[in-house]
Amino acid sequence: MPEARLAGVRFAYPGGADVYPDPGLTLSLRGGAVALVGENGAGKTTLTKLLNGLVRPRAGTVGVAGVDVTARSVARMAPIVGYAFQNPDDQLFERTVRAEVSFGPRALGRPAAEVEPAVRRALERCGLAGREDVHPHDLGLAERKWVAIASALAADPPVVVLDEPTLGQDHRSRERLAALVRTLAGEDRLVLVVTHDMDFVAEACPTTVVLTRGTVRFAGPTADAFADEGLVAEAGLRTPHATRLARALGLDPCVTEAELLASWSAT
Amino acid sequence: MTVPALVLRDVSYRYEDAETDALAGVDLSVAPGEWVGVVGPTNAGKSTLCLAAMGLAPHFFGGRLRGTVTVLGRDSLRVPVPERSADVGLLFQNPFTQLSGARERVDEEIGFGPECHGVAPAEVDERVAEAMRLVGLEEQAGRHPLDLSGGQLQRLALAGLLAMRPRLLLLDEPTSQLDPAGTEAIFDVLAALHARGTTIVLVEHRLELLCEVCPRVVAMAGGRVVADGPPARVFNDEAVVAEVGAPVYTRLAHAAGLPAPWPVRLDDAVAAFRRSRA
Repeated sequence: MPEARLAGVRFAYPGGADVYPDPGLTLSLRGGAVALVGENGAGKTTLTKLLNGLVRPRAGTVGVAGVDVTARSVARMAPIVGYAFQNPDDQLFERTVRAEVSFGPRALGRPAAEVEPAVRRALERCGLAGREDVHPHDLGLAERKWVAIASALAADPPVVVLDEPTLGQDHRSRERLAALVRTLAGEDRLVLVVTHDMDFVAEACPTTVVLTRGTVRFAGPTADAFADEGLVAEAGLRTPHATRLARALGLDPCVTEAELLASWSAT
Repeated sequence: MTVPALVLRDVSYRYEDAETDALAGVDLSVAPGEWVGVVGPTNAGKSTLCLAAMGLAPHFFGGRLRGTVTVLGRDSLRVPVPERSADVGLLFQNPFTQLSGARERVDEEIGFGPECHGVAPAEVDERVAEAMRLVGLEEQAGRHPLDLSGGQLQRLALAGLLAMRPRLLLLDEPTSQLDPAGTEAIFDVLAALHARGTTIVLVEHRLELLCEVCPRVVAMAGGRVVADGPPARVFNDEAVVAEVGAPVYTRLAHAAGLPAPWPVRLDDAVAAFRRSRA
């Protein structure tokens, strides 16, 4: 499984305060689907940008899949970390969906015979088959998010970062997205999901990292995070709806809808 | 007779060069002071509904509008958008779209709307201060709008609307980029505005949240209104739910084999589950 290791990382945006206070950010992730949650400004997106070198630490080390990120250019991290930005318009610039999604593997110099099936697979996974010739900016926000996700997957990277993937997604898309995250995690990848959507965390990510003001407040099983009411309050989280109903009904603690139903039918 | 806040009569709208209608025969009437939630899948026409109510479709986007859109008693085709913006505020789904590009400080950006409408400088300052306080942006007053995070940008976009003190607010997923506490704070602000008589049309994918605040839900699919009524009625219609989804509590009650009507809120769900075992 691809690992991500951050040790003693310090970083500040120009003119800004330290994102990760003394002694810096230290965190190890061992693969699978991991939710990264916490308040706005807690340092979630910055953490993901450290993983592909988009931001460089002032101190400390960042290693991803055995590679020292600080010694590599963003371009050389591209085959290792696939990244879908919170705002898809930050990354979409080609004139067709196909050109956009194939840009990554083409820029990496992969042969056409390899690029074509990889792009097709990424498009299929993202529900974009048949949309290849559309201009990305003729799509709505929700579909542009999917184009960004497909672009992140096209080079088949071992690490995938999805920043607020559920933004603007309807109920069917959310389910497809949760299924995709689980599938990607099952393919021995590290899938890091930045989100405020606690139901999505519950359904898609067995592991959760909670950041509070630049500090790792919790890293472990998602069920344990939501069981800790003090943690939930301190980090400004909310428990998933299934957890709330289970609690109100006096059922065993649970986070997913399936767990709640199983617990209910067992009582 | 009270003038409705928003009336659409058999409204169809097609974007320029599009092959299908984004709105296809929409009839809708919203009374002053109502808080209406709009739900539906991607491309259902929710955002277009907001654009038509604001007049941006067709004034800005071109395309073809059939039927009539009457906002606060005036036909939208006859009211230029700048004039409309004195009474109606539209919050775009992507807050970046909302920025004027003309101001380099958060406070000045918030004041840009009233300033353009000739509001006296002292009152602009007062409105800006109030709007910043309401959305929690006071500490960002001097920053450049483009230096803000997604969540802060969303607060900025809303603050800019609030400074206009609109009678009708059209909100397209207003808190999609905010953390849970930030979302609750913004919904407290909306509830206060609603209590003061502001009419709110809210597009929201988080159906549980919507069911907490909106007494009325309009469900859209394929450019049409497919259901319109109290949340408990809309989300108990299985054909509608197949199109637009249902709150977690409704889904769980259905999946657990509870008899209809299925609950839409936590307290109703607890009662329904308990009742089924009584």
